[in-house]
Amino acid sequence: MSDTETRDTATHAVSSNRGRNGGQRQLNIRDEDICVEIDQLKLWYGDDQALKGIDLQIPRNRVTAFIGPSGCGKSTLLRCMNRMNDLIDNCRIEGAIRIDGQDIHDRSVDIPELRRRVGMVFQKPNPFPKSIYENVAYGLRLQGVKKRRILDEVVEKSLRQAALWDEVKDRLSENAFGLSGGQQQRLVIARAVAIEPEVLLLDEPASALDPLATLKIEELIFELKKHYTIAIVTHNMQQAARVSDYTAYLYLGELMEFNDTDTLFTNPSKKATEDYITGRHG
Amino acid sequence: MTDDSIDENFFKQHISHQFNEELEEIHSRVLAMGGLVEQQLTDAVTAMVNGDKELAQTVVTSDYKVNSMEVELDEECTHVLVRRQPTASDLRLVMAVVKTITDLERIGDEAERIGRMALHLLDDDRAVAPMKEMGAFGNHVRDMLRGSLDAVARMDAEAAVRVAQQDIQADSQYEALLQRLMDQMMKTPDSIPRVMDIVWSARSMERIGDRARNICEYVVYFVRGKDVRHTSFDEMAREATGDRG
Amino acid sequence: MRNWFNRGIPWIWLNAGAVAVSLVLVLGLFGHVVFTGLQHFWPKDIIAFDYAEPGQDPVSVMGEVDRSEVLSVRAAERRGFEVDESGDLITRHRIKRGNRDITDRDFTWYVQENMSEWEYPEDAVRLERRQWGDFYGYLREVRVDGEVVAEGDAAWERFDSLFADNVPRIEEIGRIERVEIGNVNAEIEELRLAQRRLRANETLSEQERQERAEALQEERNRWEDEYDELVERRNELLEEIGRYDAVFETVEGHRKTMPLGDIVKPSRPNAMSTAEKAVFYVGEFWDFVSGYPREANTEGGILPAIFGTVFMTLVMAVFVTPFGVLAAIYMREYAKQGPLIRMIRISVNNLAGVPSIVFGVFGLGFFVYFMGGGIDQLFYSERLPSPTFGKGGVLWASLTLALLTLPVVIVSTEEGLARIPGSIRQGALALGATKGEMLWRTVVPLATPAMITGLILAVARAAGEVAPLMLVGVVKLAPALPVDGNFPFLHLDRSFMHLGFHIYDVGFQSPNVEAGRPLVYATALILVMVIIVLNLTAIMIRNHLRERFRAESD
Repeated sequence: MSDTETRDTATHAVSSNRGRNGGQRQLNIRDEDICVEIDQLKLWYGDDQALKGIDLQIPRNRVTAFIGPSGCGKSTLLRCMNRMNDLIDNCRIEGAIRIDGQDIHDRSVDIPELRRRVGMVFQKPNPFPKSIYENVAYGLRLQGVKKRRILDEVVEKSLRQAALWDEVKDRLSENAFGLSGGQQQRLVIARAVAIEPEVLLLDEPASALDPLATLKIEELIFELKKHYTIAIVTHNMQQAARVSDYTAYLYLGELMEFNDTDTLFTNPSKKATEDYITGRHG
Repeated sequence: MTDDSIDENFFKQHISHQFNEELEEIHSRVLAMGGLVEQQLTDAVTAMVNGDKELAQTVVTSDYKVNSMEVELDEECTHVLVRRQPTASDLRLVMAVVKTITDLERIGDEAERIGRMALHLLDDDRAVAPMKEMGAFGNHVRDMLRGSLDAVARMDAEAAVRVAQQDIQADSQYEALLQRLMDQMMKTPDSIPRVMDIVWSARSMERIGDRARNICEYVVYFVRGKDVRHTSFDEMAREATGDRG
Repeated sequence: MRNWFNRGIPWIWLNAGAVAVSLVLVLGLFGHVVFTGLQHFWPKDIIAFDYAEPGQDPVSVMGEVDRSEVLSVRAAERRGFEVDESGDLITRHRIKRGNRDITDRDFTWYVQENMSEWEYPEDAVRLERRQWGDFYGYLREVRVDGEVVAEGDAAWERFDSLFADNVPRIEEIGRIERVEIGNVNAEIEELRLAQRRLRANETLSEQERQERAEALQEERNRWEDEYDELVERRNELLEEIGRYDAVFETVEGHRKTMPLGDIVKPSRPNAMSTAEKAVFYVGEFWDFVSGYPREANTEGGILPAIFGTVFMTLVMAVFVTPFGVLAAIYMREYAKQGPLIRMIRISVNNLAGVPSIVFGVFGLGFFVYFMGGGIDQLFYSERLPSPTFGKGGVLWASLTLALLTLPVVIVSTEEGLARIPGSIRQGALALGATKGEMLWRTVVPLATPAMITGLILAVARAAGEVAPLMLVGVVKLAPALPVDGNFPFLHLDRSFMHLGFHIYDVGFQSPNVEAGRPLVYATALILVMVIIVLNLTAIMIRNHLRERFRAESD
């Protein structure tokens, strides 16, 4: 809880209910500015129901972590938020996801535009086989930005935001595959950040990285939440505990528990959550 | 954990057997340490009341056992934290244990102090001192300690609250005892240095009561996940029964 | 032993054996082609000997040893040789005597026992001629305007210098005939067609037509004057060349007067040192590669065939690449993967197994007669009845081969697209790319190495294909290259020569099969090298691209 500065500057963000919690500051979802609202979301892959009615609110400028055993639907839920599930043939969705009040399944929604607003970073670093510069500039070029000056500016800013600038500034024109795994993942984050999304979805962003690179990514997430609303899926509970403000525990397509991270990891309200996070037989 | 309270299966459910054993080991060693401290306290009070110098000597020389047990347990808790990164109830258990052993060690220190006072006291002082009350007070705090250790052993928050509430009586007993001793000092001013020793012993016992109460609070924290330090007994009772009001 | 089996060693031997056999086959084939093909250009020594069959008068023979073999006596008798029957085996040599215009056969077998000692006369001359094949004999006299200017030992030197003087003249004649007169003819042909169009045009008034006809006629006259000038210049040169004659004597004693202009390349191999022979060899080889064929393709070079092969292959590549790539992208990326697309895929794969001559028949029927005929009707009606596109040509040959190699390109492009990891696609989509942007900016560039692999296979197949081409545009001797300096520079309607067909033609269709055989190997060698060069180029491009897109190969 060292980011008191950010906490204090965000509106309604802090409830300083001292007293029975012994002076500890505690987050409360009721005080947050909600960015993404998921309402009775159900999803089927063919006949298999992967999500069974999820209700969830993701607060703005916070890190929300999704944890749960494999196949619990956490990645699926994440991919719903920028409609990446549309790519899967027999996928059917019910319910609503509202970003800033707008239903993303509405007909008027342009999917590429939605994906520009809701960036995504995947488990395995997936830089394009181009130069570092072109990787970061990719999103902008898609939007038709051609001016070198603007591109230069954005590339530098994004790489700085991704804490990669100092490491790569002298070799922007080199192939991105020359970077280490951790650097590649930060490059991919820089690429996502370059188009200034509102929401950043991270699908197990550090699971393929070594511990040091993981820490760097976590540090980066910490910085990024000043500007973006972040949703992160992770298998690593310690990681969820380290980086997130809120944590949702999903099990077999259902949202078992959603709470602020401190509470969820010290005193979960459901036996199932307790069993999962302490590693007990459910 | 409102729906299922922590029970004897607590140490059997982890997927990792090693982890189960480690936690159980910590738990049983806390109880062993508690038993030792309780024994020290009983001996110290007995030595004080009966003027048993030999017993008092034993108490003073045995404190090192308590200290070394604390160090060992501390180390063991650190190991669990490092290796297992426990969460939720496991984390609370370890945290509660770390705090409990600190308090137990302090109780051991207080028992040693009582033993030392017992050595200092002369027979004639003992005659004038309110030894009966002292014995009663000592037994009360010892019962509190025993009760709190029982709560630890059974992981029973409600029992812990009941024990913690006994601290009220302990405080009033202490007040009464102190009043008696002050009267004594006013009557016979030349006995003041000796009576002061008894005052210190009483104060140690009072502290032991407080620390037993602390241990009870840790039990509530461990079982219910609520930090009930510095709250009223009513609130503590409410938390302990899981009643969120 | 059992252990030996269990450790799988027999498998290693078996597999390695298969590789070894393949290697031996490939290297053996290639080595044979290279050896036989290249050997042809090495100047062989000219031998001279007297040949006397038992009981007959000796005759003098001069020429090159073409082949030697050992026969049993009976086999020799069966072949009509008069030999001494004392031995079991005899050696016979086939001698290339040349001089087809004097003697009737230029290749003759001689039995070694009947030969006198071989001599290597220093002054024996071998002439490569424009007609009648090679000549072997001795230079006797050099004449200018019928006057003898040198004879005896001095003759060769004089002959050499006069011949060298003549080379630029001959080259100029060649240029005039091939290029300049060609250009003028093209212009005249264009004007002739314009006149025909004018006559057929009924929208014009009589006067207008008259004026235009006069203008055209005037221009035509101008070009015809130019034509006459060129012809005159050529005739002058011919006359100049015609002043020089050389008199040669064959070993049998025939004297033969030859104009210098008829001689392509004189040489005296017996007098050459090895270094000179090497220089001569390189020159011969260069002439072969860069020259035009003569004497029904059995002499001269194969430039038009090389050019035709390469050009046709390139045009084919231009057709097949975009077409195949687009089809593959649609099939892999856009089409719904259902039974229909699976059917199409199977059909495409099976197309690769259809015999190539079937494609030739299809090309003839569809491209040449249907499409070409249609184009002639629509755009070249003034030239009818002589067809423009309605006959075999580079365009139709290329299209036919494009059809033939389409499956290769489609299959390998599809493979390449399938190998692009989903993470790259998702990464692009997650950045707000539309499907089209994702494909064209990211996926397709990554699949280019695979496409080029497909192209390599296609080129290799197309360059070696002959059968269908015989139906759709390859000819024995093309009057002009499909590319020249006349508008529109690329003449896709023209027939062309092809190395593969050239091999067939020289090897099996020519009047002088024996003389042509080395050329068959040399041409085959060139064909193989052309294919290798084409493939290497493509492979280099591909490797360069792979280096750039290091991603998916890792």
